[in-house]
Amino acid sequence: MHALIQGIILGVLTAGVYALMASGQTLIFGIMKVVNLAQGAMVILAAYLSYQLFTTFGVDPLLSIPLTTVAMFFLGLAVEVLFLRPLRREDRSELSLLVTFAVALLLEGIMSVTWKTTIRSTNTSYANSSWTVFGYQITLVRLWAFMLSLAALAFLYLLLNRTRFGRAIRATVQNPESARLLGVEASRVSALGFGLGAATAAAAGSVYGLLYPFNSGSHYDLISRLLSIVLLGGLGSIGGAVVGALIVSTSSAIVASTLSPSWSEMTFFVILLLVLLIRPQGLFGTTARGAI
Amino acid sequence: MTLTVGAAALALVTGCASRAGTGATAAGATTGSAGKPLVIGASVSLTGDFSDSGKGVERGYQLWADSVNAKGGILGRKVTVKIVDDASSPTQVVTNYQNLINKDHVDLTFGPFSTLLTIPASQVAKRYGYAFLAPAGGGPDVFKQNLGNFFFVQPAPTTQSGDVFANYILSLPAADRPKTAAYAELDDPFSAPIAENIRSKFEAAGIQTVYKQVYPSETQDLSPVMAAIAAKKPDVIVGGTQSEDAYAQVKSLVQLKFSPKFMFQSNGANSPLEFPNKVGSANTAGIMSSADWYPGSKASGSDAFTAAYIAKYGGTAQTVDDNSAEAYAAGQLVEAVAAKTGKIDNATIISTLHAGSWPTVLGDLAWGSNGAPTGQYSLVQWQGGKLLPVYPSSVAQASPVFPKPNWGG
Repeated sequence: MHALIQGIILGVLTAGVYALMASGQTLIFGIMKVVNLAQGAMVILAAYLSYQLFTTFGVDPLLSIPLTTVAMFFLGLAVEVLFLRPLRREDRSELSLLVTFAVALLLEGIMSVTWKTTIRSTNTSYANSSWTVFGYQITLVRLWAFMLSLAALAFLYLLLNRTRFGRAIRATVQNPESARLLGVEASRVSALGFGLGAATAAAAGSVYGLLYPFNSGSHYDLISRLLSIVLLGGLGSIGGAVVGALIVSTSSAIVASTLSPSWSEMTFFVILLLVLLIRPQGLFGTTARGAI
Repeated sequence: MTLTVGAAALALVTGCASRAGTGATAAGATTGSAGKPLVIGASVSLTGDFSDSGKGVERGYQLWADSVNAKGGILGRKVTVKIVDDASSPTQVVTNYQNLINKDHVDLTFGPFSTLLTIPASQVAKRYGYAFLAPAGGGPDVFKQNLGNFFFVQPAPTTQSGDVFANYILSLPAADRPKTAAYAELDDPFSAPIAENIRSKFEAAGIQTVYKQVYPSETQDLSPVMAAIAAKKPDVIVGGTQSEDAYAQVKSLVQLKFSPKFMFQSNGANSPLEFPNKVGSANTAGIMSSADWYPGSKASGSDAFTAAYIAKYGGTAQTVDDNSAEAYAAGQLVEAVAAKTGKIDNATIISTLHAGSWPTVLGDLAWGSNGAPTGQYSLVQWQGGKLLPVYPSSVAQASPVFPKPNWGG
């Protein structure tokens, strides 16, 4: 019982970080109908950036987030303008898979050359601290990560629902033709949206480096998880990404702590399969456009 | 596709057959050629999956050649090590050794890196009557071949590297021995079996298993596993680990505030540089692992090896690659056989090494007929931020500390 509850605590806290990564992924899909296979690589790149800032200048990874998000925002912008925009609109969904995978490989290559393939982890002074609550351990890093992810998600929510830019994004998601007729510049929205997706990857990456050891190849595991979360929640739905992340990370933590770690990775794929059989659009996805 | 593979295999087989005749003379021609350089051939993974470790092996071979040449060579012959790259490929490694033996007519062969490559490579050496000194690649399948010309240059087969921990625990008086044990094992041929060997010894001695799980290599988060272990409060935790997972185990336990009386990790914890770096120096206190070579080892030639390594490649004793030490030891064996017999041909090496025990930087080595070493690793423990050998007493530089100090020292 103790192990089960401890497992749930760990799972819920970890879910925040995944929710953050997945929200960027789902946002990009919502706006552009592009499945961004480079999202995992962008998370790892951000993890390296904050690792470097921490080891060279001693900047705490949680404090360097504003810097890394801005840097990654511009990287996302550049990727959209250079690699995705030239694709013809009607082929974009299919070809973008190849293009974003190429971007992922490119980033992986750059990271391997820059930081070698040695496993890195960002070891802050509080990296191994935890609070004891009723005999259960709440790890500090995970708690910070969780709260930070909530804050970032709230920020994203406000941006989408309370600003002009957010309205333009939602309009583009719902009906790109009408949005364009009403003066929304679709290409600008796409670029900014992709940048925003990359920026959430940056915030998540800083936290990711605190939680797990990583190297340039870590993005493969990450992207398969992210895709599962996004599909489970429903492509294009940010709320769905949050729920998907919660289901994925708590179910695997519970299974790993009570049953066996060998089954834990499999559990969420079983859940995913069941959900897709019963509700092919995912938990919160809609078959029509305009889920955000 | 099948056709091309088949054709390639055919070419390979016919290639072998046509070269077999010359091979025998190549192996025999190594005696009585004083003055000519002694050429030792080895295929090493300089690129591909094993390149990091492969380069360590290359440095070890080269370093030994330099040191022996500085002393005037072996039996008056300068030593040249001819190294070719196999790109971590088990087919390339076969081609490489066939070329080394038949085309380059090398006098002796040393092994490549990893069990995957050592198996096919040792078969080629066997076919041509070459002794095969392999500093890496000690998986069980290697010894199952029962080749006779094969010597694994480490103190024990890799899967038995943790046995020294079991021997130490069982050497303790009954009152001090742990009563319960938990095992967390990485699903890898060189991780889980090490812990399993310890478990069978512990269970035979009445130490109760309260937890045992194997986790797949893609397990990113070990916290739930360690939480389940912490809930059982075992006296000893045995980790069948590689590197990242070893760090993750320790970090999770620190966060869960559970410190067992004894903790052993098969790998990761024996990395003098990486381990304190990854888990925090204060958290290393009391953790045990096993090693064949370690900084400050008093084994034969270890000081000279360490000094030469630092002089040539820089760094400190803590950054010396243990793969290099193992490769260096292969060279020491050749030197020792020459000193003892006054000869340096393959048949002499094979028959001589099968008797007695041989001092190297890894300690004294001895082999069974299948090439499996019959010794044991050294038990090392973190004390005061340093990795020290603590058992058996013949190599110990400090007494083992138990129970393990709490996290944070």
